[in-house]
Amino acid sequence: MRNRGVEGLYAHQGEAWEATQRGEHVVIATPTASGKSLCYTLPVVAAAMTRQAKALYLFPTKALAQDQVAELIELSRAGELGIRVATFDGDTPGDQRQAIRLNGDIVVTNPDMLHQGILPHHTKWAQFFESLQYVIIDEIHTYKGVFGSHVANVLRRLKRVCAFYGANPQFILCSATIGNAKAHAEALIGEDAIAIIESGAPSGEKHVLLWNPPVVNPDLGLRASARSQTNRIARAAIKAGLKTLVFAQSRTMVEVLTKYLKDVFDSDPRKPARIRAYRGGYLPTERRDAERAMRAGHIDGIVSTSALELGVDIGSLDVVVLNGYPGSIAGTWQRIGRAGRRQQAAVGVLVASSDPLDQYVVRNPGFFSDAAPEHARIAPDQPVILLDHIRCAAFELPFRAGELFGDVDPTVYLELLAEDGVLHPDSGRWEWIADSYPAIAVSLRSVADGNFVVVDRTDGRQTIIAEVDFSSAPLMLYEGAIHMVQSTPYQVEHLDWEGRKAFVTRTRVDYYTDAIDYTKLKVLERFDGCVAGRGGCHHGEVHVVRRVSGYKKIRYYTHENIGYGPVNLPDQEMHTSAVWWQLPQHVLEELLPSRQDQLDGFLAAAYALHVVAKVAVMADAVDLQRAVGSGDGAWFAQADGRGRGQLRTMEGGLLDPAKADSFVPTVFLYDNYPGGVGLSEPLWRRQPELVRKAQELVEACDCKAGCPACVGPALDSGKGHTPRALATRVLAALQAQA
Amino acid sequence: MTTALNRLRLLARQAGRQAAPASARQPAPSVTASVDSSALRALLRIRHRQITPLRSEDRELPGVELVPGLRLTEVRQPAPDVPALLDGSFARREAIPTAQALFFDTETTGLAGGVGTRAFMIGASDWMGGQLRVRQLTITTTGAEPAMLEAFRSWLRQDTLLVSYNGRSYDAPLLAGRFRLARMGAPLQGIDHLDLLYPTRRRYKGRWENCRLATIERNALGIVREDDLPGSEAPAAWLSYLRGGSAATLRGVLRHNHQDVVTLAALLLHLRSSSA
Repeated sequence: MRNRGVEGLYAHQGEAWEATQRGEHVVIATPTASGKSLCYTLPVVAAAMTRQAKALYLFPTKALAQDQVAELIELSRAGELGIRVATFDGDTPGDQRQAIRLNGDIVVTNPDMLHQGILPHHTKWAQFFESLQYVIIDEIHTYKGVFGSHVANVLRRLKRVCAFYGANPQFILCSATIGNAKAHAEALIGEDAIAIIESGAPSGEKHVLLWNPPVVNPDLGLRASARSQTNRIARAAIKAGLKTLVFAQSRTMVEVLTKYLKDVFDSDPRKPARIRAYRGGYLPTERRDAERAMRAGHIDGIVSTSALELGVDIGSLDVVVLNGYPGSIAGTWQRIGRAGRRQQAAVGVLVASSDPLDQYVVRNPGFFSDAAPEHARIAPDQPVILLDHIRCAAFELPFRAGELFGDVDPTVYLELLAEDGVLHPDSGRWEWIADSYPAIAVSLRSVADGNFVVVDRTDGRQTIIAEVDFSSAPLMLYEGAIHMVQSTPYQVEHLDWEGRKAFVTRTRVDYYTDAIDYTKLKVLERFDGCVAGRGGCHHGEVHVVRRVSGYKKIRYYTHENIGYGPVNLPDQEMHTSAVWWQLPQHVLEELLPSRQDQLDGFLAAAYALHVVAKVAVMADAVDLQRAVGSGDGAWFAQADGRGRGQLRTMEGGLLDPAKADSFVPTVFLYDNYPGGVGLSEPLWRRQPELVRKAQELVEACDCKAGCPACVGPALDSGKGHTPRALATRVLAALQAQA
Repeated sequence: MTTALNRLRLLARQAGRQAAPASARQPAPSVTASVDSSALRALLRIRHRQITPLRSEDRELPGVELVPGLRLTEVRQPAPDVPALLDGSFARREAIPTAQALFFDTETTGLAGGVGTRAFMIGASDWMGGQLRVRQLTITTTGAEPAMLEAFRSWLRQDTLLVSYNGRSYDAPLLAGRFRLARMGAPLQGIDHLDLLYPTRRRYKGRWENCRLATIERNALGIVREDDLPGSEAPAAWLSYLRGGSAATLRGVLRHNHQDVVTLAALLLHLRSSSA
């Protein structure tokens, strides 16, 4: 230990040690770089040396796992501890797997591999499970929403398998600072845990700049794009000799920003690249290569998605630039924490985009620095997710009559699986009899299985250059799309939807593409409702249809729109849960005689409600969506470029609001996951607070007609009501005393 | 219909409520138990593919029932004279004691892999008093699996030499997993195992279309099978019988498995003699 620069324990590390020695489950939620990993390394190593106890480490990404293993091997070597540490993931060669299963003292993996590669083969791991004493789960704040709900069920399966081998391992969990570390850890492992949240570690000075791009169009409240500002800041930092990391929110944005920086710094193709992109969807070899180059200090600028957010060691950095608010305070600190790990001063710059959440945060710096850290939420008993994991669990070990899964009675699910011929009930046991391997069909990170591969066919080649997950495919791989890999543009020529393949060729164009999509909802079943001012608020089950109708071509640098193209892809349909608000037709007519005004008011109110709801439940932006339409699915509404509503039928045709038969505009906020992930019911329960906060948001905004921070960008046409004013009326009516 | 809807609501509400501020971890009341699978199906929008129970007249299988759900067939057939020791150099090993050789092959519920695949039939043959004894264990209920494993374990001695075709990678690990699941330890551990696939491959690689056992026995041993049931149809045959279907195809699986272990014995002799 001392050789590794560790002289003594900080208070929180000592506390963690004592709790683990008492045999309790422990969760440690202290800031980045406070020596969290020592909290679990110590008990694990001590137990391995004194009583051959084994440990399983779970990290959310492969890169992070490999990093930890390198550290542990170094520690074992320096101290001559003789502890055998290995990663076990999709990249582990077949000939090493058996040795790891039999001899590994510490096996480091990720939840996906545990789910698909280890639990379904647990008999091969019998010796490992028999001696398993510690399960370490790091970065648990990333296990929230749908992903977290899946992981909680994988842990239920892990505990079930451990129990079969007579093991009852102790859990040590770590998290970035979140408000409910204890509750979240307990929800994940289904048991009580001791929380340690005070850090005794010193930290390097951190400067955080919140950068709001200048207003370029005061009428619309439009600001210069975060993209161009991020580019400027990164360019200046790299020119000043600072190692810079840029986080972008989407894969497309990673490629665009990489291209901009490469245009400046990598113009000479004979020299080694100074700028690199890093994101999911690259092949593993390419990512490992990028990690090595960064650690070796050959790279001056990295542009990445959240793939790099977690502690992948990429050497020291001076500046972190966030292109847009990552959607959570924990995520922001986590990313900024990548700069200046070793107690040196560092700078983090958050460049706000026009996204309302960004504007909300950047205008309320107090929210960022003082607010209680947010809560991570999961819904492990979500029926779709539960069914998937009960299926997997039944494959791993037969359920016995009366056996619980976590604290759920699985009988109804087992009956369903038996009806489908997957299980066979025989003398009080549900036996697996199907010829299938269910874990393969369940992805922890996305709704549908089946990644798309991107095949480069330039000059008769047939090379796989990237992968795209199912849910992103309609937005990224339509025919005509420009798909970028390391900022090299490829054009999608043919999309084989059934075969999950996109064929591309190398192209030279000066634009990129952006999908246009829209959503229609229909209420299927109202579970409950209440009075909301002069109208009502309800929650229930809805049918959602999402369609990508076309795409825009956007020119580099000027960002002007230079054309459109059509897209023909299957609709994405699902049933999920939603919360919705309505005002009766007569109240609406009295409030706003013009149907166009009514529509604009609802669109604007929906926008504001969505902003406050996302903040309220700290939902991942992709997990909670909004829509405005008629409750029966006859039409849906969208704002045009100037903030005015347009009615469309699902076929895409325009509809005159004055001519629609029934006109009950409805604001929907819905869970973007089949069956729902439990966001909308809490929203329904908190609806008075949401409407009030939305009202405050709209009234406090200093724009004229509407801007991205309140009701969405809108032009002040000088006549009639502005969307902002209309939104206040609608929101007021939803609060008024009847 | 209304009751189904009410239950569905209950279920959906439960799913929603669980996610509400997970501040206090409360054990979920087992509401789901009162929900039937059709309501769940409706909520999850899963199509109903109910398997129809079968009712066949033809349920006869050969052999005797050892315990309920486990059948044993035992046949002795003529065999050539076999020396006590065979030259093992073709398999890069010491002399092979023929009295200890146990040829075996399993029929399984599929090729999906993982702990969910089981063997429903284990066939084994050995040389006894100038004859080849063929024994086959078949389960007709899932509950009889431990009894089948126990019976197979009783056929093994410390000095048994298992002989198989691809059994080192497939049959043996699969059975080892089933022994684990039945909490019967690891009886295969430490038992010598000769997998004839590897010497066969060394000898015949590239000669015929592939190195599957059926290809080798036809071309190298001149064995022709009549109306043989392809191995790939075995899982469906057993599943159908399990659900009350006809025994006819399962009898076909028994014949197929029988021939496999007979062929294994012949193949061992063939590989030894053609290497000399």
